Amino acid sequence: MEFNIDDLPVLFPYPRIYPEQYAYMVDLKKTLDAGGNCVLEMPSGTGKTVTLLSLIVAYQQYYPEHRKLIYCSRTMSEIEKALVELRALMKFRAERLGHEEEFRGLGLTSRKNLCLHPSVKREKSGAIVDARCRSLTAGFVKEKREKGENVETCVYHDNLDLLEPHNLIPNGIWTLDGLMRYGEEKKQCPYFTARRMMQHCNVIIYSYHYLLDPKIAERVSKDLSKDCIVVFDEAHNIDNVCIESLSTDITQDSLMRATRGAQNLEAKISEMKDSDQEKLQSEYEKLVEGLKGLDEGRQEDAFMANPTLPDDLLKEAVPGNIRRAEHFVAFLRRFIEYLKTRMKVRQVISETPPSFLAHLKEYTFIEKKPLRFCAERLTSLVRTLELTNIEDYRPLQEVATFATLVATYEKGFLLILEPYESDTAKTPNPVLHFTCLDAAIAIKPVFDRFSSVIITSGTISPLEMYPKMLNFETVVQESYAMTLARRSFLPMIVTRGSDQASISTSFQVRNEPSVVRNYGNLLTEFARITPDGMVVFFPSYLYMESIISMWQGMGILDEVWKHKLILVETPDAQETSLALETYRTACCNGRGAILLCVARGKVSEGIDFDHQYGRTVLCIGVPFQYTESRILKARLEFLRETYRIRENDFLSFDAMRHAAQCLGRVLRGKDDYGVMVLADRRFMKKRAQLPKWINQAFLEANTNLSTDMAVGNARAFLKQMAQPFSAKDQEGVSIWGMEDLKRHQEKMAEDMIVELKTAREEEERERKRREEEERRRFEEERDRVSDYEMDEDDEAEMMALDARIG
Amino acid sequence: MARPLDPLGFEDEMCPVCKSRKYLNPDIVFVFNPECYHSMCLNCANRLFNDGPNQCPHAGCNKTLRRKGFRSAFFGDLAVEREVDIRRRVAAVFNQVEDDFETLQDYNNYLQMVEDLTFELVNGTDERRRQAEAQLQAWEAEHRADIERNKKAGREADEISRKRLAAERDAVRQRRIEAIKEAEAEKRERVRSREMELDNLAKGTTAMTAEPATKVQLKRRGQVNRVAETASNPTIATTGMGTGASEVERLSIRGLKEKPKAPVPQGPYDPFGGMDFAPSRYKLHGGLTHPLIEKYRLDRQHVAGGYSFDDFAARALYEAFAGLGVFVEDEKEAGSGIGLSQETSMAAGMAAVGDADKMDLD
Repeated sequence: MEFNIDDLPVLFPYPRIYPEQYAYMVDLKKTLDAGGNCVLEMPSGTGKTVTLLSLIVAYQQYYPEHRKLIYCSRTMSEIEKALVELRALMKFRAERLGHEEEFRGLGLTSRKNLCLHPSVKREKSGAIVDARCRSLTAGFVKEKREKGENVETCVYHDNLDLLEPHNLIPNGIWTLDGLMRYGEEKKQCPYFTARRMMQHCNVIIYSYHYLLDPKIAERVSKDLSKDCIVVFDEAHNIDNVCIESLSTDITQDSLMRATRGAQNLEAKISEMKDSDQEKLQSEYEKLVEGLKGLDEGRQEDAFMANPTLPDDLLKEAVPGNIRRAEHFVAFLRRFIEYLKTRMKVRQVISETPPSFLAHLKEYTFIEKKPLRFCAERLTSLVRTLELTNIEDYRPLQEVATFATLVATYEKGFLLILEPYESDTAKTPNPVLHFTCLDAAIAIKPVFDRFSSVIITSGTISPLEMYPKMLNFETVVQESYAMTLARRSFLPMIVTRGSDQASISTSFQVRNEPSVVRNYGNLLTEFARITPDGMVVFFPSYLYMESIISMWQGMGILDEVWKHKLILVETPDAQETSLALETYRTACCNGRGAILLCVARGKVSEGIDFDHQYGRTVLCIGVPFQYTESRILKARLEFLRETYRIRENDFLSFDAMRHAAQCLGRVLRGKDDYGVMVLADRRFMKKRAQLPKWINQAFLEANTNLSTDMAVGNARAFLKQMAQPFSAKDQEGVSIWGMEDLKRHQEKMAEDMIVELKTAREEEERERKRREEEERRRFEEERDRVSDYEMDEDDEAEMMALDARIG
Repeated sequence: MARPLDPLGFEDEMCPVCKSRKYLNPDIVFVFNPECYHSMCLNCANRLFNDGPNQCPHAGCNKTLRRKGFRSAFFGDLAVEREVDIRRRVAAVFNQVEDDFETLQDYNNYLQMVEDLTFELVNGTDERRRQAEAQLQAWEAEHRADIERNKKAGREADEISRKRLAAERDAVRQRRIEAIKEAEAEKRERVRSREMELDNLAKGTTAMTAEPATKVQLKRRGQVNRVAETASNPTIATTGMGTGASEVERLSIRGLKEKPKAPVPQGPYDPFGGMDFAPSRYKLHGGLTHPLIEKYRLDRQHVAGGYSFDDFAARALYEAFAGLGVFVEDEKEAGSGIGLSQETSMAAGMAAVGDADKMDLD
C-alpha cells in the first residue's frame, strides 16, 4: 500500500497496516526531520522491522541527502530476518515504481559465518577463523608474494583486488546467504566484499558490536558519515552490551599464556635483529617522529585496534621508553609479572584505576602514559615482526587491552579481584575483572557522531530510564499500545496459592514447602487447562533445579506428566536446542509440552513461541539479578552516585524488563493469543513498570488473584478464544486498509485544523483583548490630556483675570 | 615450564638447597639476597647464615651473603625483581618530568636514554654495566640539585593525589551511609504510619486516618526535593563532610559527573547588540527647550503623534557637535576615497562628540 506522511510518500509492502505501525512511522519521521534521538517501544509481533525499514527507505529515497541507514540488531538470525524483509520491501518498491532503484543493502557478520576458504571455514572457533584469515590476507603477506616468495594466500581475497574497488558487488539487497552464494560463484570473499562495500551502501545491517565495541568499531565503522541514521533494534539490553564492550577479565591462565607470548615476541625480535635489522630500525624511526598510520594502509588486517573510544585516544608520539622493541617487551613482562603477583592475594580486592596505577607505579616503576600506549605499540610491533600465527598472541593482546583501558579511564571503571569462584570454594581460581560501570561511556561516541539514533524494542519500559542511563536526550519518547479487535492475551498476577498463602520467590521463603507446593499446584492447574505449549520461567538456574527436585519429591511432576511432556533448559546451548526441538515437535503433535527455562537464559530472548508453541507463559518469581555479585554491587553504587538511580529502582527495572521479555515470547502477532501469568506477591507493586501494551490489557479483576481464581479466568478466556474469529473482524479496528488509513489521516488533518483553528481563535481573542486594553488606555490618556486642556483654559482664565486686575 | 595443573607455578616452587617443595610443605617461605638473586627457603637461609656471612650455596655462585640482606620477593620471577630493584635506583636519579622539557620529543628522547641505560644495567655485559653505572653516578653528581627538587615535587604530588583519593573514598562512604540511613528512615516511617492507620481503624476514629498518610506523603516529597537539590548542587552536599584542606575538599566531588545544565533564561532581545547610544562625554539635561518649538508643546496635532521634545533636543545637540571632530586636512592625508568618506565622517563625528568633554552644556 502507498500513502503519504506529510509530504513523504511511503510504500508499505503489505496491503494493510496496523494503526500502531502508522503512529510509529509518524513519530519516526518527526525524529528524522528534527535530527535527534528517540526511544520507541512497540509491542512485539506488530511488524516493527518492516515499519522501520519502509519508512526509512522512503525517507532516504525521497530526500536528496540520501542518508545512510545503519541498522543494528542482536543476533545473526535477526540480521538475516531484517535483510529478507528489506529485500521484500525493495522488490515491492520496484514493482510499484516500475524501475529498480539505485540501492544497495548489505549485512555484515563475523568471518566465521562468511568464510569460503576451504580449510579455514572448517574451523570451529571464531577466533581461530579470524586469526587464520588474517594470516592469509594481511598486507605483508601480499607484499611477500609480490616479491616472489612462496607464501600461502586466500584466493577469494586476492580476487577482490581485480575488481573495481567501489563496485565489488552489483546493486540490490544481499542477504548473508545470497552474499555467500554470490561469493562462491564469482570466487570472491564475501566478508571483505561486505566490509569494503560499506561506504557504498544505502543500508547496512549488522550487530551492535560493530558500532559499540571500540575494538571493532575502530576498524569497521569509522568511515561512516555523520548524517547516518542509526537504529538499535531489540535494544532493551543495550546498556549491558555497552558495558561488556569495555570490560575485560584476566585469569591466571591467560597471564601464563601472555608470558609465553611475550617470550615468543622476544625471541622473534632477537631473530629479526640478526636478519633484518633495518625493519626494526625503520619502525623505531617512525615511532620517534610520531608518524603512525601513514603506511598502515588498509586497516582491515590490523592485529588489534585500540580498545579505547576514539575521543579518548591520545594522539601523540609513543613515549620514549617503549619505543625500542626490546624495551617494550621488557615493559610488558614487568607488567604481567606484577599482575601475577596481584593474583596471589587471597582476599577480594576492589579498587579504582587511579589507586591501581599508584600501586603499580610504586612497585614496578611503570608510568601511566606508556601504559596507555600499550595496545597501539603492540599492534605496531606485531606488524613489524610480520607475525602470522596471531592466535598465540591473543592473551598478550588481552593484557595490552587491559593496560590501555586502565590507564585511560579514571571514572566509571573498577578493578575487582576475586580469588575464589564462589564463597564456599576452597581452591583459588583468581579472576581480575576490569569492569565498566557506566553504560554511557561506550555509547557516547555514537550519540556524538550520528545525529539520529533510534532505540527501539518490544519491551523498553520505563522509557525514561534509558536516556538517564545512557546519558542522552530524546526528541520523541513513545510507547505504543496494541490495538486489538478482541482481547487476545490475558495478563494476570497471581499472589496467593489456592490455600490463600502468599507466594513469592523472595530469598527468605523460596524454599518453604508451602510456597513450593503452591507453585507446583499453579503449574499443574495450568498444565491441565492450557492447550498445546506452555513456557515457565524461573529467576535462576539454581532455583529452578532446587524447585524441580522438590516437586519431584512432592509428586507434583507426576501430576504434570499426565497432561504434558516436561522439558528443561540447561546452560548448555546444544542441549537446550535439542530440548526446544523436542518441545516444538510435542506442541505440533499430541497434548503439548511444558518448557521450564530461566528468565535470563537463551530461551527468554530471541526465541519465539508463536501460536501453538506457547499458549501460556508462567513467570515464577520476579527475575532479579544475583545481587551478591560484586560487579553488580559496584554498578549499583555507581548508578546511585552518578545518575541518582537508586539501587532498588534499578534492580526492579532490570527485573521487570526481563519479565516483560518473557511475557512477550508468547504473543507474536495479532491473530495469536495467550495467557500471561506473573506468579509472585511482589509483582503487584511493580505492575506499572511493565510496557504500556501489557499494562493496558490488565484488568483490575485480574490482579492479586489466587490460583483457583486465575485458573477460572484463564478457562473463560480460552473458551472465548476458541470462538471462530475471522480476519474480517479485525479490519478497521486493529488492521487498516487504505480507506481506514485515509479516514485516519483525514481525521488527523481535521484535528490539526481544529487545533490550528482553536489556536487561531485563541490568538484572535488575545488580539481583541489587547485592542480593548489599548483602547482603554488611549481613552484614559485622552481624558488626561483633556484635563490638561482644562487646566490651560483655567490658566487662560486666570491670566485674563490677572490682566483685568492688573 | 610449569605443569598443567598449576599454571603459575605457585605450588611447584622448590628450595634448591634442601629440595623441599611447596606441595609438601605449604607454609614454606622463599627468600633471596639482592646480592645474587638466588632464592632458597627461609629455613635454609637461617641455617646457613645465622652464624655470620657465608658463601651462596648455589653452584657456581661465589658471592658472600649475610643473613640481614635476605628478603622475600614481591614478584614470582626473580629476574623481574632484580630489574625492579635497579629501576628503583635509576628512578631515584632520573626523576625529570615532562614539564622540565621544552618539547615532547625531547622528553621522549630523555625517556629513551634512561631506558637504554637501565637496560644496560639489567641485561648488559659486565663491561657495559660498569660503563652504565659510571654514567649513572656522573649524572647524579652533576644534577644533584635538580634531583632533590624533583624528588620533593614528586613527593608533594604523591601526597596530594593520595589525599585526594582518600577524601574521595571518604565522601563516597559518607554518601553511602547517608543513602542507607535515608532508606531505613523511610522504611520505618512507612511501617509506623501503617501501624498508626491500623490503630486508628481499630479505635474507630476514621476521620483521623487520612491525616498520617498525607503527612508521610509530605515528608517523602520533602526528601525528594532535598535529593533533587543535592543532585543539582553537589558542591554544597559535599563541603560539609571533608576533613582535609579546602582544596582537597573541592576536589573530592570529582566523582560526580557533570550533568547538562538547564539553559539560562536569556534577556530581552537587543537589536543593537549592546551598543550604547547615550552621549558619553556631554550630559543631556531634561527640560532643554527652544523658543521655536515651545508653541508645539501645546499643539494637539504634534502631541497626539507621540512627538518627543527631548529627542529633538538630543538630536539637535548631536548634530551641533558632530562636525567639530572632522579635520579635512587629516582626511586628505589619509587619502580616504569618497566611498569611505561617509563612514569616516560619521565616525569622526562620533569621536567629536566624545572629544567634546570640555564643552559642558550647562
